[in-house]
Parts: sequence; C-alpha cells; structure tokens
Amino acid sequence: MKAETSTLDAGLPEVLREVPLTTGPVSPGSLDDQILSVTETKPPRKWFVAIAFTSLLAAFGFGFIGYTVYTGIGVWGNNSPVFWAFDIINFVFWVGIGHAGTLISAILFLFRMRWRNAIARFAEAMTIFAVMCAGIFPLIHVGRPWLAFWLFPYPNQRALWPNFRSPLLWDVFAVSTYFSVSAMFWYLGLLPDLASMRDRATNKWKKLAYSIVSLGWHGAARHWQHYEKAYLLLAGLATGLVLSVHSVVSFDFATSVVPGWHMTIFPPYFVAGAIFAGFSMVVIVLVVVRESMDLKNLITDRHLEVMNKVILGMSCLMGYSYAMEGFTAWYSQNAYLHHTFLNIIGGTYGWAGWLTISCNILAPQLLWLRKCRTSYFWMILVACSVTVGMWFERFVIIVISLHQDYLPSAWRIYKPTLVDFAILLGSFGLFFTLVLLFARVLPVIATTEVKAILPGAQPTHGGHHE
Amino acid sequence: MSDFAVLGLFDSADALLAAIPKVKASKLGRLEAYTPYPVHGLDEALELRRSPLGGMVLGMGILGALTALAFQYWISAIDYPIVTGGKAPWSWEAFVPIMFEVMVAFATFTAGLGMLFLLNKLPFFGHPVLGTKAMRGITRDRFALAIEADPGLDAEAARTALLAAGAGEIEVLPAPPGGPFLTSDFVLRTLGGIFVACTVAGIGMYWAIKLVPQVIPVSHMLDQPRLNAQQGSAFFKDGQAMRMPVPGTVARGYLPVAAATQEAAAALVNPLPTTPEVLALGKRAFTNRCAVCHGPLANGQGSLGAAYGGKPANLQAPQFLAYPDGKLYWTIVNGKNAMPSQAADLSTDERWAVVHYVRALQRAQNAKDEDLP
Repeated sequence: MKAETSTLDAGLPEVLREVPLTTGPVSPGSLDDQILSVTETKPPRKWFVAIAFTSLLAAFGFGFIGYTVYTGIGVWGNNSPVFWAFDIINFVFWVGIGHAGTLISAILFLFRMRWRNAIARFAEAMTIFAVMCAGIFPLIHVGRPWLAFWLFPYPNQRALWPNFRSPLLWDVFAVSTYFSVSAMFWYLGLLPDLASMRDRATNKWKKLAYSIVSLGWHGAARHWQHYEKAYLLLAGLATGLVLSVHSVVSFDFATSVVPGWHMTIFPPYFVAGAIFAGFSMVVIVLVVVRESMDLKNLITDRHLEVMNKVILGMSCLMGYSYAMEGFTAWYSQNAYLHHTFLNIIGGTYGWAGWLTISCNILAPQLLWLRKCRTSYFWMILVACSVTVGMWFERFVIIVISLHQDYLPSAWRIYKPTLVDFAILLGSFGLFFTLVLLFARVLPVIATTEVKAILPGAQPTHGGHHE
Repeated sequence: MSDFAVLGLFDSADALLAAIPKVKASKLGRLEAYTPYPVHGLDEALELRRSPLGGMVLGMGILGALTALAFQYWISAIDYPIVTGGKAPWSWEAFVPIMFEVMVAFATFTAGLGMLFLLNKLPFFGHPVLGTKAMRGITRDRFALAIEADPGLDAEAARTALLAAGAGEIEVLPAPPGGPFLTSDFVLRTLGGIFVACTVAGIGMYWAIKLVPQVIPVSHMLDQPRLNAQQGSAFFKDGQAMRMPVPGTVARGYLPVAAATQEAAAALVNPLPTTPEVLALGKRAFTNRCAVCHGPLANGQGSLGAAYGGKPANLQAPQFLAYPDGKLYWTIVNGKNAMPSQAADLSTDERWAVVHYVRALQRAQNAKDEDLP
C-alpha cells in the first residue's frame, strides 16, 4: 500500500516519467462514488441472467455430487489402476487457479508493483473461491465426506494418528493453511473499504452490518501504522506459502514411484503452471468485469498488457518444463520413463498431450505481438486456450502416468463417466456464482489501496523522510 | 461532561503533514491523525513508536514451527511409532512441510489478529470519532488532525491552534459516556448467556451423535449383505444360515483317541515329557476339572463326593498305582461309571499333563526313602 513517491519525476524527460496507474480524472472521492456505489444500487438485468445461469450450473453439479455421495464413487470412471482421475485433476486445476491471486496480492506487493493495487482485490477473491472449488474434490473423493475430519490429527477413541510422512497429509495442512491465510489477507485488505461503506450507508440495517464487519475502523494514524506492518508481514508470509502450497501438491505425485510422477522438477513446474493458469483466469474475468462495470479508467489497457506479458513469460517457463520432462525421460535411460513419455505424445491419450502442448506453449506465443496483448479477441482466445490446456496438462500427468505403469497386466484405458463431467461443470458454476455475488456485494477494487497511489496522494514535502 | 477532543479537517495529505509541527508546538494534548489511507511520513511526524508486530510475528512463527515439529515427533516416534516407507521414527525431513505450514499459520494469525485485537484494540464501536460528522469524510478523502486530552482539554485554545495551522473545519468531540464495566446485571447476563449456549450445544451434540449414524447415506455402512449365525436363509435347502462341518472334520487340538476300548488304550504312551511346565499345566487342569471329586491328593476324598453320595475312584489305591498311562487317558476322554467325559474341556495336551500329574501325586503319597534327594 505504501507507494514510492515520484518526486524525482519532475526533472525527467517525458519518456522516462512514470506512467500514471489510472486514466482520466480520478480523485479519492470519485473513486468511492464509482466503486462503492455499485453495491448500493440494484443489479442490472444481465447480472441476474448471468447468476441464474451459473447457479443453475452449480446446482446441477451439486446434484451429481449428492448422487456420488449417496451411491459411492463407483459412479465415476475411476478404476484400477487409474484411482486418481477427474477428482484430483480438478483439485490441482482449481488450487492452481487460486495461486494467481496470491501472486498478485502478495508477491507483486513485495516487489512494489503499484499497478497491482487495482486488481489485487479481485484476484484475492478469485483465490478464495478457487480454493473453495478445489476443496470439494478431495472431500468427495474420500467417499464418505462426513468422516473427512479423520484427516486431522486429534486425540480419538480409536487411538490412531495420521501418517505425517505422507504427502497427502501435508496437502491437508497446506491447503487449509492456504485458505485461512488467503481469507485473512483478503479481509484485512477489505477492512478500510468496509469502513468507507459503513460511512456511506444510509439504510439503518446496512449501516449496522457494515459497522460490525468493519470492527469500528476509523483510520487513526496509530492503527494505520500497525495495519501497514501487518499487511507487509502477511504479504511476506503469503509469498512463502503460495510457493509451498503447489509444491506440496506436486509432492503428492513426486514422492511416489510412478514413472512420469517421480521427478525433482515437479515443484517449480507445478508452481509455474499454477500462476500461468491463474493469470489466464484473472484476465478472462477482468475483461468481463471492466467492460460490464465500466472500470476502464482504473483497470487500464496497461494492466491487461502487463498481465499478458506475465502469461507469456510463464508459457515459456512451461515450455522449458515440458522439454525438461522429455529430456529427463531420455537421459534417465529408464524403459518405464521412456514408455510414459512416448505415451504422452503418441499413446491412447496422445491427443491430450498434443492439446496440452499447443494450448499452453504454442497459443500464448501470439502474445509476443503487442496487437494481441491489447486486443480483447486475442487475449481472451489465449486465456481460454491456456485454461483448457492447463486442465489437460493435469489430465496428462495423472491419467497417462497411471494407466500404464510397470506391469502390463495391470494396464487399463480410463474412461470418464457423465457424472465426472457434470461435477466439473458444477465447479465452474460455483466459481462464477461466487465471483458474480462478490462483484455486487463488496468493492471489486481496493479503493483504499488505489487512493494511496493516486497522483498527489502522498505528501511531497513537509515530512521528515526527505 | 468535558470534551474529549477537537478535530480539524484538512483537504490533502500535504496540508495535514504541514500542520502537525505547528499544532504540536502548542502542546495542548495528544495528537492523532485520521486518514482515509496510510499517509507517508505520518508516523515520524506524530513521533509514533515502531510497531512491535514484527517481533511478535517472528516469535509466534518460531513457536509454530517448533510446536509442529514436537507434535509430529511425539506422534510418529513415541505415541504411535508405525514404520511407513521404511523411514525411521525420527525422520525429521518428512516433518518439514507441515512445520512450514504451521509456522505460516501461527505467524499469519498473529499478524492479522494481533494487529486487530491486541495492538489496535478492535473491535471497538464506541470511539468518539466514529460518531462525528467528519467521519464520512475521513474514510473518503478528508484528513483529520485531532488534539485529544481527557480530561482538561482547552477546547477554545485547541480550536485556535488548529485554525492557525490551516484546518478547514473544526469539530469538537464530546467525551464518550463512561460507566462501570462490570455491573452485576452484565455479569448475570453473561453467565446466563454462557449457560444457554452450553445447554444448546450439549443437546445439539447429543442428538447429532445419536442421529447422524442413522442418516442415509451414513447408514449405508450398516447395510451389509451377510448371514449371521442362528439366522434362517432361503439360500440353503435346509433353510438355515449355518452349515454343518464336512463329515470327518476334526477340531484343532482334539484328535480322537486311537483306541476303541480301555484295554486297547493300555498300549498308548504319554507323549509329553515330565517337565515343570507340563506338571504345572497338569496341576491346573487337575485342580479345575478333577479335584472336586477325586480330591486334591487324588485319594477319592473330594468335596463333592459327600454331597451326592457317589464313590469317586481312589487313585492312590494299589490297583491304580499299576494302571497303564493309556487307560487313565482313555478314562479322561470317555468317562467311567458315574464320571462324565472330560474331552470337551481338556485338550489332548492337557489330558496327558493330567496323567503326569496323577503319577506325581501317587509317587508323593507313597514315597520311599530313596525318593528323598
């Protein structure tokens, strides 16, 4: 939130001056009127249409989750040796989507990338919603979700403890910590905005509700001092956490002995893939939000262009990882590893391998062109292709590696059932329903953070810090 | 009621920062600024102490990591030492991921909740500034500087000082109505609330524990396709769930005696050696099954003999001293006269041990000088 003052700019030639982070006349007051007033008006008709569609989709998915829980997970396509399929693919996919939010809110904050202030709130919200979607899948995969609390180490009548040497238990800790830390980070950022909404509210009940959730925040300098420190510390902690979470998710695979999983490159490869997929999802949602909510002056073309540059960079990293996977397979001189890699590019599921490579590596190369980075059509095309590609990447890693490992007698072709697809669609429905609700109920842009970086927001003289 | 503070409003962070040294010079009371966003240089201008949050978070983070390590070590190496993946109980490398996550969780909650609850003393809905007209501007785009002194604020002097420093509007904040915190009414209400909450939670848990296992699909686990003993079944022709063993089935430890009559059994040889363990086994079996009739010394003077008028054999009688082992064994298995069979209660080994023990009793009752050590 602390913005570096641009006192040096005055003496610089035009080209070297900092580009303003907003376009058009924006003042702290107009910002509040633009962002906070959204929650005070009735949503437009198109919003109702959209949320009706997404919540129907979510209800459809949850219906099939109910069917699964009632009947048992035999209604999915999972069967020996492919015991992990859509459930774990979707889990890894959604956790990955969440990582972009933390990257934007925490890592870019530490790097003092001030442009992130305008999109941080939305990205953080997406993190929380994505982790919610992700959490569903391991929960229903255990078959008896009402006993999922057995995963936690608590003293019990059975005198049993969980196995702390299992990456699956690490995952329980990583994902639950990630969710609670993201929620805390999000809420702290929201606190001053909630106070603004409290002071704007005219309806008695709304005022009461905002008063309670804003905890009586009144912007005292002594409070801001601790608040800023807490925010900085949280950013530092969340940075370490976000890198650890997808590393731990990758340990689920890397610590096993399945050919195609047992690789040291997995943790960084998974983290890069997560950021890649997450940024694409953020681009898709941001484009819709800035168009429908008229936020072009705050989420500028430059924001989207920078986001697209990150996607391009991550795409190149992914290309390197894929190439490294092939190199490792070849260099290992291991027949099983060779076989797995050949399966990716030519087996029964070879089409999925090539779909992954073309969606994740080839399509984003369009973003080298400035025209594609700034055109809605091309950036949405690339972002959608990355979303599809990253889902299939997890399909490739999980299903291809499992369906043919060491013993040919145990090989089997995996076929998902309609229930698998219904639950996947349902998770998208849940995600977009939550996003739509969020867009109408809470400020989509962190007004406090943007106020702090507006031109003239910070003192240029008179302080003791010159 | 005295006034709590005098508030001056400014239009920009620049104006606020410029005013602080001037107002500070008047020495009228404690200075506090209220701003819509954190303003650079305000901490230094107001001479605020550095936030201690960093140290708190560091301490709690280290505590979190150590807690996780100790917890995992105690569980994996002491309380429940199960070898998994060939790892030693103290395989600390495997504990690192959870140590890290717990460290982050401890540190995060310290940073977030410690900041809110401990340092900023929130939630607090009674701060005087919350009720002012200026509050709407403070969370929007105005910057307020307050001179706070309670009691004894010179409101007029404060107003003059703030106006001189360039404040646009002035607002005087009355002190909040104070009262005793712990009234008996408050204590009673709190205790009553706790009682109601505990009762509701207790009744709720009782019914949850009682009913949840009977709810579909939780109850599906109870529904197992199997036949219980003594149950009927339409599957088998005789309509019973239990099956008879195949003819000729022999239970473990109960081999039938390889002799048709007691005379033929005379040829059987006791397969057990005479060791203290075998004699102990024989003594236990004899005491439990035989002594009640035959007496502890096997002389036929058991406690039950008088009660039912029978005449159990006196095994110390001369004809039994010369009795072959096999015939004694046969009698244990098949019974004789009024004596019932003991086959169902004594295993093969126990029967032969009893034979050894009876021989020992006979020798003890008819000891010769040579038997002395």
